[in-house]
Amino acid sequence: MRPGIRGFWTADSVNEARAVSERAPPAPLKSVPAAAALIFSVALLAALGALLSLAASGIERSAECLHLTQGSWQELPSDGFSAAPAALDKLGLSSDWHAASLPLTMPRRIEAPASSAYFTTWVRLKVDDAQPVTASRALYGVRLKTDGPIAIYIDGKLAYRAQQRGQQWNSLFTPLWLTLEPGVSDAPVHEILIALQHTATYPVAVSSLWLGPADALRGRYQVRQWLQSGLPAMLNAAFLAVGIFALFVWFKRRADATYLWFFGLAATAFAGHLHFYVDLPIARDWFGWVVINSLCWGLIALHFFLRLLHGRPLRWLTRAVAAITLLIGLATMPLPWTLPNSAPVLAMIYAVELLMALTICLVGGVATWRSSREGRLVVVALAICELLGMSDWMLHNNVVGPEGWFLGAYTNGVTFIFFGLLMYRRYVRAIEEVERVNASLAERLQQREAELEQSHQRLREIEQRQLLSDERQRLMQDMHDGLGSTLISAIRSVEQGRMGDAQVSQLLKDCMDDLKLAIDSMEPVEADLLLLLATLRFRLEPRMESAKVTLVWDVRELPALDWLDPSAALNILRIVQESVANTLRHTRATVIRVATAVEGDGVQVVIEDNGQGFDVAAALVRSSGRGLQNQRRRAQVIRGRVEWVSGESGTRFMLWLPLRQGSPASA
Amino acid sequence: MDAPANGQTPPLIHVAIVEDDLGFRRALSEAIESTPDIRLAGAAGTRAEGLQLLQGAPTDVLLVDLGLPDGSGIDVIKAAVELWPSCSVVVSTNFGDETHVIRSIEAGASGYLLKDSSPAKIVDEIRSVASGGSPISPIIARQVLARFRQIGAGGASRSVKPEDPPQLLSAREKEVLELITKGFTANEIARLMSLSPFTVRSFVRRIYSKLNVTSKAEAIYEARNQGILDG
Repeated sequence: MRPGIRGFWTADSVNEARAVSERAPPAPLKSVPAAAALIFSVALLAALGALLSLAASGIERSAECLHLTQGSWQELPSDGFSAAPAALDKLGLSSDWHAASLPLTMPRRIEAPASSAYFTTWVRLKVDDAQPVTASRALYGVRLKTDGPIAIYIDGKLAYRAQQRGQQWNSLFTPLWLTLEPGVSDAPVHEILIALQHTATYPVAVSSLWLGPADALRGRYQVRQWLQSGLPAMLNAAFLAVGIFALFVWFKRRADATYLWFFGLAATAFAGHLHFYVDLPIARDWFGWVVINSLCWGLIALHFFLRLLHGRPLRWLTRAVAAITLLIGLATMPLPWTLPNSAPVLAMIYAVELLMALTICLVGGVATWRSSREGRLVVVALAICELLGMSDWMLHNNVVGPEGWFLGAYTNGVTFIFFGLLMYRRYVRAIEEVERVNASLAERLQQREAELEQSHQRLREIEQRQLLSDERQRLMQDMHDGLGSTLISAIRSVEQGRMGDAQVSQLLKDCMDDLKLAIDSMEPVEADLLLLLATLRFRLEPRMESAKVTLVWDVRELPALDWLDPSAALNILRIVQESVANTLRHTRATVIRVATAVEGDGVQVVIEDNGQGFDVAAALVRSSGRGLQNQRRRAQVIRGRVEWVSGESGTRFMLWLPLRQGSPASA
Repeated sequence: MDAPANGQTPPLIHVAIVEDDLGFRRALSEAIESTPDIRLAGAAGTRAEGLQLLQGAPTDVLLVDLGLPDGSGIDVIKAAVELWPSCSVVVSTNFGDETHVIRSIEAGASGYLLKDSSPAKIVDEIRSVASGGSPISPIIARQVLARFRQIGAGGASRSVKPEDPPQLLSAREKEVLELITKGFTANEIARLMSLSPFTVRSFVRRIYSKLNVTSKAEAIYEARNQGILDG
């Protein structure tokens, strides 16, 4: 097995496998049910998308809505964040409005002026066009970007308040949606005033607004909401799920640390993106610390992941990344002596983190591009995430207008897709590998089976040859002792003219009987001594009949004798035949009784006659008593024994045979 | 040869022989010469002549040797079963060994005759076979039992048509065979089972014909199987 497996992993076989998998085109959908399932599933998803987009529509009714893109603003210092009053206190406002078009991006301060740390930016929108007021109306905007409370006054009345406790984590990703219900406010809107409280250095921005029937605007609002927050949340959760899956894979395969790093990446990415969906106020707390730092941690995980893929240590980069991560981690802790999390500080930290990501991406790309396809995939994913992160940074810092998309929410989607691709490749390849291993195993098994079959065949042939040789020897011996010598003496007698025809005929008949016995001994008696005796009786019957001897067949069922092979069978047949022949030849008996019985750990065959009997002891020593000696010798060969008891009323011959050949004959 | 003459008592038994051993043919002729009820109605020395003989008028008993110079006597036995359905086919054999006899019985033979039998024995056997009896030896009885045991075991799984159920042995037939394997003669068995000796021998004939039918069905089954495999 082992050499085969090792051979299987050699470069040649792997290349060959690749060649095979490349040559084979993806199997076309052969079965109708499979094709139907594919079409149905795709159609279902497409239909679902179409239905949802229809439900969220209203874009086609844009003509009924007013797009408010002109306004004016002014900025007033304040003493701090305060709750907006229900009635508009116009007294505080100056008449010094600056005209501007929306989306409006306020010029940013790098440092707070000495006069005040807090400001309120007022934005005024005049609406002169006619408006339908019968249905529910809505005011919709992509976002109002400030770090303090927001208030909106419509025609002098407070209509909307948000961020009462300051900016929340998900504020920037939640569009403005303000409804004016008929019955509550039936009058057309003439003036919209937006009060945005903020710290001095925060880059405030206001998107253009839409005013119109709620049904016509709801589509825009929901699409925005879903794409900016719902979909990224799903992808975030999916990425974490894949990460947990990787963790469990790692539990089983500790040697492959990529799975562990991947889990680390998924966990930090989840932590780093959670702020897109929670409405906690942004504060200088541990959650904020986690949000800021998880990007660094994720980058470290990614860096180690890449290192495993391309196999280069890159020590200096590792050290630099670790040092920067540590530094940022320490500097941003929510402790009295660390950095404040003011907008410029955050902008700087994120810029550093983006630079770090860029470095890892470039170095990783160079290191991995040639060596690892997986590494290339990861670097491309990182590069895309980098671009997404940069766009976010620009949006945060008012480099681009407030109506843009926070694409950073999609970095998880990107990583999810790329790592999914990675896993898909690994999974499919693993399945192919298993199939190929199975195929080669089956092939090898077949080979082995064939070899085994061959060697079995050889063994069988050898065995067969041995068996034949044994059998030939036995037959030769028997022919030599029995048939051969009888025929020779017959020939001699005939040649010397000492025999009459009847005698010759009798001699030849004896030869024939011998031959029949030899043939009977080779019949399949299946360890059944009784069947063997029955066969002998069947053969001897004509001779008994012609000798006018009555045979009493007094046999009992006998246990099987496992050792009863052709050679043993012939010995038994000869012993019993000799005994019957002796009776017929010498004793003038009229009745022969054959009986069988179980005797101790053996079986007994008894042959009795009512003839005149003979002197057993004398017969055994006489040279003409060779028949008795033969019987005794044959019995010894098969570990049995013979006995004669002879008297005037007849002779009793007894053949004892052991049940098992392993046990020695008890003498 | 003479046409069978009817109306005589006892009825004449017409015998034909397919045998290349002229010695045995002569022995047969001599054995039946003096009997009033047995006539030799035809003789053939080869397989081809034997098949030719079967085109003529059927006899009551046909003796067939298996080792013919131009082929196997089995073919002659099979042809005889087809062409002379009323004829009892007997295979003549030197030793009555199991292989030859069982093959002949499966081909449709009703009995066998040892070639070195005495003339009286030959005549007895011919009369017995002609009257519907069959000879059997212990070894052959054991083999027949084994064959039917196989059929009994495999019969359920093999798709035999319901109108063609496997031919199984009856309890009495089985008992007869078992007694034979223990060495009892037909006469002794008849006594033990309170039957006439002739009934025992006709039991054997019935068993042989069951074996013939079964092996025919098996041959068809095998052929069909083969056809499925080949096709």
